[in-house]
Amino acid sequence: MPHTDMSEREQLSARLEQANRQLLQSEKMAAIGQLAAGVAHEINNPVGYVYSNLQSLETYLGDLFRLTDAIDSADSVADLQSIKRNIDYDFIRTDLGDLLAESREGIERVRKIIAAMKDFSYVEDEAFKLANLHQGIETTLNVVNNELKYKAEVVRDFGDLPDIECILSQLNQVVMNLLVNAAHAIEGFGRITIRTRQDNDQVILEVEDNGKGIAEEHLTRIFEPFFTTKPVGKGTGLGLSLSFNIIEKHNGRMDVHSTPGQGTCFRISLPVRQPATEDKP
Amino acid sequence: MIKIQLVDDEANILSALKRLLRPQGWEIHGFTDVEEALGSLREHNYAVIISDYQMPTADGVTYLQFAKQRQPDAVRLVLSAHGDRNSMIKAINQAEVYRFLSKPWDEHEIVAAIKSAIDLHLLRAENRHLLKQVQHQQTLIRAREQELLRLEQENPGITRVMRDDDGSVLLDDDEPR
Repeated sequence: MPHTDMSEREQLSARLEQANRQLLQSEKMAAIGQLAAGVAHEINNPVGYVYSNLQSLETYLGDLFRLTDAIDSADSVADLQSIKRNIDYDFIRTDLGDLLAESREGIERVRKIIAAMKDFSYVEDEAFKLANLHQGIETTLNVVNNELKYKAEVVRDFGDLPDIECILSQLNQVVMNLLVNAAHAIEGFGRITIRTRQDNDQVILEVEDNGKGIAEEHLTRIFEPFFTTKPVGKGTGLGLSLSFNIIEKHNGRMDVHSTPGQGTCFRISLPVRQPATEDKP
Repeated sequence: MIKIQLVDDEANILSALKRLLRPQGWEIHGFTDVEEALGSLREHNYAVIISDYQMPTADGVTYLQFAKQRQPDAVRLVLSAHGDRNSMIKAINQAEVYRFLSKPWDEHEIVAAIKSAIDLHLLRAENRHLLKQVQHQQTLIRAREQELLRLEQENPGITRVMRDDDGSVLLDDDEPR
């Protein structure tokens, strides 16, 4: 009897684990869906000017070829010089450098956004690995930049951190949740501070905003699944509860301090190394 | 000289547009800062104002609404990377924009849009100029008519000229020389 009991319980807990994973993935997808419109905007800007610059480049090349083609056909050097003046050669020459540099910058930005999206959508990456938390934060900032830049100035107050044993894509998701929440809490234009510190065998990560704060009666409920104060369609009510689960899975702690009208600070502490006994089978 | 104002929080967008529009020979002023753009409305008269939709300090529609108050004659265009329905409705209803252009843009499309905006601007200016001229002429005519009426009242018949069959002017013999 106890034997079947055990296997049933094991089966149930395996199913629960599976359901949790699915929930995590769907929350991630929902969050990404919300961000997608913003990301499109973020990509359309650089694509916009790179595309425009290519059209200008085409005009410049047409002009330059007019000059080089004339080398064979022109009667005199004076003719060539007059074409050169005509096409505003000096301007083209100086502007080409800027055109290329700005376009390269645009492509680089698109590349970064795509790479960040990819970092985010990893599904199978479930193993604990040594990773650089700051790198994860930067990736996340790339993804949510569009949500943030019209709402707040982002201040990075980073300490020296060792690589920590974690599932970075999941921590990214936690950071994303906190950043997006922070932006939503700000009315008008505010400030979001991301702070990192090492504290012995722990690392501390804080995300602080100067937004409207969380009402005291909500403070005890924010980690509950499906609890949200956002309007329908804006939030799933799962972000913080899943974040909490992720941090728990990392044997860390997450707590919150908030003063209505002044702002909110989420504080996460994570062990640098995962305890050996807690390692996944 | 036709002056055009560009407002976008991204400097690279401004330089790409300036580059693309340079052959047109317009004077182009680019601003990444909304406050500065607003300030320049005091110093320059623009034919066309093109604004980004989403910017950190103020959105494009709000800016264009301000611009409309300060320079109602400048034709307003939005250049946006964000083509959702709400933003278009806002742009049309609140800022009364002439065109809603999207990023990435096409040279022909943007040049054609600006050219037609300039045409509209010039047409409106000409309209206003002609209206002023007509009003001025009407006041002149009215003043002249009133003067004639006054003369006629003082000296009935003075505004009428009597002519002979061959066209020569007849002077009344009673009239003192």
